Order: sequence, then structure tokens, then C-alpha cells
Amino acid sequence: MNFNEDSPPVKIKGVGDSLWVTINPSLPIDQLKQELIKPFERLKHLAINARIIIDAGNGEQESSDDLIETLGTFLKKEFQVGHVTKPVSQNRAVTQNRIRQQDMGNSWHHYQNDGLVIAGRVRSGQKIQAKKHLIVLGDVNPGAEAIAGGDIIIMGSLQGKASAGQPDNEEAIIVALEFKPTQIQIGGFVAGGMTESAKNRPEFAYIENNAIVVDDYIKENPFRRLAWPEVR
Amino acid sequence: MDGKIIVVTSGKGGVGKTTITASIGAALALQGKRVAVVDMDIGLRNLDVVMGLENRIVFNIVDIIQGRCKIKQAAIKDRRIDNLYLIPASQSDDKNAIKPENMVWLCGKLRKEFDITLLDCPAGIEQGFRNSIVAADEAVVVCTPEVSAVRDADRIIGLLYAQSITPKLIVNRIVPRMVENGDMLSHEDVVEVLSIDLLGLIEMDEYVVVSTNTGTPLVLQEDSKAGKALHRIALRLDGHPDLPIENPMIQKTFWKKLSSKFSRKN
Repeated sequence: MNFNEDSPPVKIKGVGDSLWVTINPSLPIDQLKQELIKPFERLKHLAINARIIIDAGNGEQESSDDLIETLGTFLKKEFQVGHVTKPVSQNRAVTQNRIRQQDMGNSWHHYQNDGLVIAGRVRSGQKIQAKKHLIVLGDVNPGAEAIAGGDIIIMGSLQGKASAGQPDNEEAIIVALEFKPTQIQIGGFVAGGMTESAKNRPEFAYIENNAIVVDDYIKENPFRRLAWPEVR
Repeated sequence: MDGKIIVVTSGKGGVGKTTITASIGAALALQGKRVAVVDMDIGLRNLDVVMGLENRIVFNIVDIIQGRCKIKQAAIKDRRIDNLYLIPASQSDDKNAIKPENMVWLCGKLRKEFDITLLDCPAGIEQGFRNSIVAADEAVVVCTPEVSAVRDADRIIGLLYAQSITPKLIVNRIVPRMVENGDMLSHEDVVEVLSIDLLGLIEMDEYVVVSTNTGTPLVLQEDSKAGKALHRIALRLDGHPDLPIENPMIQKTFWKKLSSKFSRKN
């Protein structure tokens, strides 16, 4: 590939699951950086974790390796891109798995959580509502209400009402260190609080066979069997 | 120096707000403070009866606010205790006769006149409660060891915090024998749920009924346990916050104490 005077110094196109970035290696590196910022800023969050292939237009010459590496580090730093390589060639043997794992490990840094974490005591008559998961670092008193679109996690005593998975997420769970609610709801299911005293250890409620079940959280942890940590 | 306005509240009715207001007022006056107790329960006034001043009412709080009299004319001096004054509620109006801004004005005046003003808040969280807390500097929450009273006190505490008032707790009507048998919530259970500073514990006491019916201050009764507890609460409320809290317990004989000590080891 040859560059004319009037061809743009940086071009981007999507190839497979990667972004193919063609650069003009004859330009000074600072100018290349400036030129890269423009399109990558427009990409915004699309650039995060994207796999990038930088094509210096001269095949596999050793001379362009340094340039690609510098630009790769620059892109990772500025735009949190994923793996940066030069055009795929014979060394495709670079195990795909390893790259995927690397990207996976990186992805936690950029994961935006839409859960609500609050500290303190939720008192009678107070109502806490979260769009997704709700975590209360404190107690939920009798007469108080905790409502969430996802899970509810109470790092304390749950004595009020808890409604998880509202309106219709039946996968949601309710966890509390001391589990003695007046009432719980998961999705459309409702269960009254139990009269027997709490076991003084963390318990959680979930839906099984169209009914709300309460179990010991330490013994019956439902996520222990997952092969890989996943976003909930 | 300006005086303090302290509101006595509970949410639930019948837990002893009025008796406690009258008694703390009397105890503070006995300590030499100039004290006013104000009945905020307009339409259902009680505080005058409990203090035995029913027959002396000429003007009331609504008259003050509507400009028909001065504070000095409406404030009734106690029969026995100097420096203790009652501002009675009106029996013929309702809670809407007073607006929060009226209370701010009235409390401003009372701060100048008295060292300590105690507001006897009505039950509930409506207008009467709003009027009572709007100008208060401190709050005392009264709670009995019952789940319903705890629930209401919890709601009240939330509302007080929303007004930037940090309340203190009095647990009233504790029956030590029932607590020991596990038939009544202990004050620890109550404090655990409400998690605010404890101001005092008051034991169930028959003298309270006598005192209320005869209109004699509880704190003047020498051998009343509740009277003693209220004395200590008044001290803690004004100037002696570190006075230790006495835990009501069953009076055990020496042999019973000894036997329970031995049986505990088994």
C-alpha cells in the first residue's frame, strides 16, 4: 500500500471483531498521535476494550514494530482499547484464548455499575428504591421498604420489607446477614416473614419452582458453581 | 443567653409523653431553672390536668398566637414549684389553628423568657407534630417496650433527623420481671432498633396513676421509682450528660442472688 500526499494520515475501518487502523508511517509520531485522537474521540465508549490492528502499510517489516508498539501504548492509555497487534500474519498462533482472557481481566476496570450502595439505617416509613441492585450497609428496620430492579443485599439486619427483581425479574435474590423480614417479594412472588427467629447467620431468598425459598447463604451459595466471574 | 426548646414526642399515643413532660419540667424547675411546659395537643389538652392546673386556665396558646393576650398572661404558674409555668392548649380549636411560622415566632419569644421550654407533642405525624418540631432545638423520643411503639418511634426519629434534630431516647414502662422472663422487649432490644442515644429508663410505677389523678408532680413523691428516674433524666438533659443510666432490675434478696449465681454455672 502506498500513501499519496492527499491520502489521510489515519484511516479506521471495522474488520471482523477488530478495528483496522491504517497509518502513514512516514509522518512524525506526534502528528500521528494527534490524528489518532480525532477519530477515537468520536468513537467514545466503542473504543473501550476494542481490539485494534495497526497497519503501517509496509507489511511485516521490523522497522514498524516500534512505531506500532508506541501507538498501541498510547491508545491503551488514552482510550482504554483492548489488545493492539500489527496486521495478522503467520503468527496467528498467538493463542486467541490468551487475548480473550486478557481483555476479560481488563474489562472489570471499565465496567460501569448501575447498582445503588447506601450506608446507614433505613427507618420505619422510609423507602429506598434502586433501578438495579441495592446494597444497604446497615439495617432495614421494621416498617421500612427496600425496592430494587435486581438483587437486594443487606449488610446488616433485614426486618422491614424487601422487594427484589421489580417488576418481573425472577432471577433476583435477597441476601441479609440477619434475615427476619416482615415481607419479601421477588418478581411477582410474595412471601410473608417467618415467625421463627432468624438463625443469626447470613440467609438469602430466591425463587424455585414458583415459590420463594430461604436458605443458608454460606452453605447454599448459588453462585459458587459459576465457572467464571460474571457481571450480574 | 437564649433558652432551649425541647420537644417531647413519640409518634404513638399513650406511651407517657404528657406525664414525662410534666415531670421533667418539674424536676428542671426544682433544679432552679426557669421552665415553661407547652401543651401542643390543641383540641385534646391533657397537660393542665396532669399538672393539676385545670381550673386556672384563662388564656391559651391559640390566644397568644392570635394576639389576644401576652405570653405572661397565658403562662400559668405552678402551685407548688416556683419557676414552673404551663402554657395550656386550646380545647375548642384544632391543630390547624397554629401554623409552623407561628411556632417559630412563639418559640423565639419563649427562648427569651425561659431557660428551658418543653413542648408536649401530640401523637401522630400530622400538623400538630410538624408545629411542635419546627422550632425545636432538641428532641426527646419516648418509647415503651412494645413493637408498635418502637415502630412509631423509628418513624419519628427519621422525621426528626430530616429536620436536622438529633433525638434522645427514653424507654418508659419497663417491667423488669417480664423482661427477665422474656415476655417483654428489653431496653437493649429497643435501643438496637432505634440506635440513638439513651437518655433514661423508667420503670412501670403505680405512683404515676396516683400522681396524674391528683395532679401532684411525680418528682415530688419521695419513694416513686419513676420519679427518681425522671430526676436523673432531667439532670442528664441539662448540664450532666454523663450521669450513669440506672437499669431497672428486680430487687433480689441475698439468697436469691446467691442461688442464681450458682445455677448460672450449670
